[in-house]
Amino acid sequence: MTLSELEKGLQARIIDLSNISPLVRRRLLDLGILEGSIIRLIHRLPLRGAFALEVNHQEFGLRYAEAKRIEVEVV
Amino acid sequence: MKSIALAGNPNTGKTSLFNMLTKSYEYVGNWTGVTVEKKIGKLKSGDAELIDLPGIYSLNPLSKDEGISINYLMNESPSTIINIVDGSLLERNLNLTIQLLEYGKPLLIGLNMVDIAKSRGIRIDQKKLARLLGVPVVPIIARTGSGCDEILEQLGQSASSSTFQIDYGEIIEEAISEIDDRLDADLPYHHRWLAIQFLEGNHVVKDKLSAWIPEKDLNEMYNRTEKKIKDTGESHTLPSYIYKVRNERIKSIIGEAVYVESKSATNWTEKIDRVLLNRFLGIPLFLAVMYLVFQFTFDWLGSPISDQLDGFLSGPASDGLTWLLTFCGASSFIKSVVLEGIISGVGGVLVFVPQIFILFFFISWLEDSGYMARIALLMDRLMSSVGLNGKAFIPMIIGFGCNVPGIMAARTIEHPKERLLTILLSPLMSCSARLTVYALFAAAFFNSHQSLIVLSLYVLSIVTALLLAKLFSSTFLKHEDQSAFVIELPPYRVPQWRILLRSTWEKGKGFVRKAGTFIFGGSVVIWLLSYAGPSGFDVEMNQSFLAIIGNAIALLFDPIGFGNWQAGASLLTGFLAKEVVVSTMNIIYMTPDDTALQGVLGQYFTSLQAYSFMAFTLLYVPCLATVAVIKKETMSKKWTWFSIVYALVIAYVISLVIYQGGRLLGFH
Repeated sequence: MTLSELEKGLQARIIDLSNISPLVRRRLLDLGILEGSIIRLIHRLPLRGAFALEVNHQEFGLRYAEAKRIEVEVV
Repeated sequence: MKSIALAGNPNTGKTSLFNMLTKSYEYVGNWTGVTVEKKIGKLKSGDAELIDLPGIYSLNPLSKDEGISINYLMNESPSTIINIVDGSLLERNLNLTIQLLEYGKPLLIGLNMVDIAKSRGIRIDQKKLARLLGVPVVPIIARTGSGCDEILEQLGQSASSSTFQIDYGEIIEEAISEIDDRLDADLPYHHRWLAIQFLEGNHVVKDKLSAWIPEKDLNEMYNRTEKKIKDTGESHTLPSYIYKVRNERIKSIIGEAVYVESKSATNWTEKIDRVLLNRFLGIPLFLAVMYLVFQFTFDWLGSPISDQLDGFLSGPASDGLTWLLTFCGASSFIKSVVLEGIISGVGGVLVFVPQIFILFFFISWLEDSGYMARIALLMDRLMSSVGLNGKAFIPMIIGFGCNVPGIMAARTIEHPKERLLTILLSPLMSCSARLTVYALFAAAFFNSHQSLIVLSLYVLSIVTALLLAKLFSSTFLKHEDQSAFVIELPPYRVPQWRILLRSTWEKGKGFVRKAGTFIFGGSVVIWLLSYAGPSGFDVEMNQSFLAIIGNAIALLFDPIGFGNWQAGASLLTGFLAKEVVVSTMNIIYMTPDDTALQGVLGQYFTSLQAYSFMAFTLLYVPCLATVAVIKKETMSKKWTWFSIVYALVIAYVISLVIYQGGRLLGFH
């Protein structure tokens, strides 16, 4: 499944980041987020707005379009 | 003099520490990218300069502000680096620390946010950490200044260069020594560091290397090494492989020096976000917060204080000055300059100091609390639909204070076209100088609905900016490639009074200073232009040079509702700074204070004309200082001219619609 389908409050492991744009991938890497990271969905803004997510106690925001390209599995 | 560099991840408290270690004051906030330019201050102990670098995650730059740090390290040679590390996010922060250790200069770690780490049950053994990294580690709380003395003490001692090394594995080590062999031995850089940065894809370092090794060879070497890594199946790219090896080392360091107790502290940030980022409440709450800010700035707090100040300036202050001038035997010319020129011009602007400081106070509060990054997140959907980025909303809100720092804040936007678009549109944001014009007109014509009328102008500025963003981004600033939007959401914190007051003063003092210099001088010149005419001095105001100039452009303003020479002359001088519009009006209408001016304005403007005038003042042209910063940031004459011309056109069109449309609807 993709990150955009994750339910609020649930955790998932990132499996594949190769489909997102290199710029976003680099930024995620900066934040210490890569394949294997455990990610949790905190909020989802309406109308396919941004996502608020949490990895390793840090919150960050991401666009719906990017979340759709990130492959995850629920843990 | 020795120079010491301050480096670290974004939003880890570098600037707070900078302010504590030096005598200067710089801008602090709670979002990623507060510092977009390096800042230099003198150390309190007096023997070195301290350089505050913009926050970076890695030495490999993505956006313009990040490039400043690597360029600094490449072109200048700091004697020591202080690396601020966020103890609550140690794993991520150490990635930069290791790159700085590899740089090979003496390094000192300031371990910040240990309190936040502790509340999450994370305990860091700093002695062990220092031993594992081979450099001193000093625990600090940058916001309160605790630990600063120890940092100063450590800086005073002679430090040895870092010798920290990671074994990156056979393939990478081979490439490193290949580069090492081809470089001159006496280069002022650590060869190993250059080689690792190059292999990580750092283009700034690659450009530097190409001075000694032909680019063709560099590319060949890079591709060959990357292929070898790919063949091992460990990683797809060189940068991600190097990251992985480094990360393994970081994990083992953390495993040894950090203890985690399972402690489930209440996560306030998440609780607050549950409300502030709620899918239905998020945007309405943001609008409500902004509405409250304006209520305080105008109706509840600002206007009453301003009225008191106005009464004082026009009453006791100017009476006292009149008496003093008479007592000194000043000529009637001098008396006129002071009382009709300077008191009216400067006093008319100073009256708004309370309102402006209150607005700045709330903007500082937004910045320091952590809400700013959430606003960017909330607005991203709307902003992306017009070809902008949620991050562009931060420069716009800062622009409500002053457009100049707003435009500079656009540096954190990664995509060049989105950044240009943000720079071009930020001047439309209604800055505090324009507030003086609204405060004057709103009080004169819309007394019972002041904050609503002013809020409508702020909404007008945002709506205009968004519509133009859509227009520009779907025509000449079109871009096909994906834009990036990844934003850190820092933990909320209760802003400290000390920081809030300081930051308010730092923002507001520019306004006061402008009143004492620019507006002071401008008022004298404007008064002289109104005092002199073709037939000599002390002429009728209608015969003065100012009237002649104003009349020349008044015809143009007739269709938008204010075809009198007074409006024309005020707008012309308002290019210097928008509050000069108010100064000029005070001089032209020969009113001693703003209350009297409000009365006089009623004879020259109707309510509809007044609203049209406010809208025109809002949009018509960026002020002189803003034009200068647009030139500096875009490095293009073409875009600078464009920013002036499009603003004039859009201001005229919108005022025309307001005035002519309003008349059709029966307003007057």
